Amino acid sequence: MQPKIAPATCSHHWAMVNQRGGFLVVEGCFHCRNRISFFSEEPVPPVDDYREGDHFWSHLGSFQASKFDLRCEKCGAEVAIPDVMALLLCLKCNPDCGVYKAGNTPENRKAWVYVALCAHTSHAGGACVSNTGLEALNAYFNQDLHDPSKKILIVPCRLRPFVDTCEGVVLADVGLTDLY
Amino acid sequence: MKVQELAAQAGLKTFNSPGDREIKGVYISDMVSDIIGIGEGLLLVTLQTHKNLIAAANLVDVSGIVFARGKAPAEDVVALADKAGISLLGFPSDTWTLAKKLYEMGIR
Repeated sequence: MQPKIAPATCSHHWAMVNQRGGFLVVEGCFHCRNRISFFSEEPVPPVDDYREGDHFWSHLGSFQASKFDLRCEKCGAEVAIPDVMALLLCLKCNPDCGVYKAGNTPENRKAWVYVALCAHTSHAGGACVSNTGLEALNAYFNQDLHDPSKKILIVPCRLRPFVDTCEGVVLADVGLTDLY
Repeated sequence: MKVQELAAQAGLKTFNSPGDREIKGVYISDMVSDIIGIGEGLLLVTLQTHKNLIAAANLVDVSGIVFARGKAPAEDVVALADKAGISLLGFPSDTWTLAKKLYEMGIR
């Protein structure tokens, strides 16, 4: 069906599209101690160590996860979200963390804060998830909330000062493929 | 039908009772990465009992969660669900038996 509303005037109602399953793979360089992540759609995610310039990347873990884009059901506008690897629920472990502070403002006191994790886990180059993607994710996860006391706030992972001490809960299938 | 009415009628075990929400439908999945795409107000039936599941269920605003096959959540998982206002229920038998029961009760 052809959309009847022009995207510029549309009050979007987003739906998930292009969902694909795969693995969130986390690697670390023992040389610079940076962390990177990527999304692998291979049936078995890569675990090999490799050298890249000055970096020596080693596999730290893989978790089943999914990626998706958003499309407006009214006007057909689509927002690709290629730079979000996964979402993480903030457990408010560190008052000095930027994520904690984002959820501690008067308007966000009752918000559940989720962190959009990008590929550049240590943000050595400064890049993180796009503002366009963040805006669409916030709109999508809040558009059907009917409880006025509940709000979902999605923030970029560049607000986290440290990766290794973060106590958040990653929305990936941690342990699902483990054998017990 | 609301969650507490379902628990009473279906004989489900209740691990907490933070609220009583209307059930808009049912979704069965054991994958967190799958759950983040479902609509709000659904009753989630699963075998998973970890915190990641509660984090995903809260994000998509489920009406409640039923753990099948007698699975029971740990205390910290119940505490997170309490905070999120998510009812946690338990069913002793398998997911298929529960699915049939829910359908027969009119939850479609």
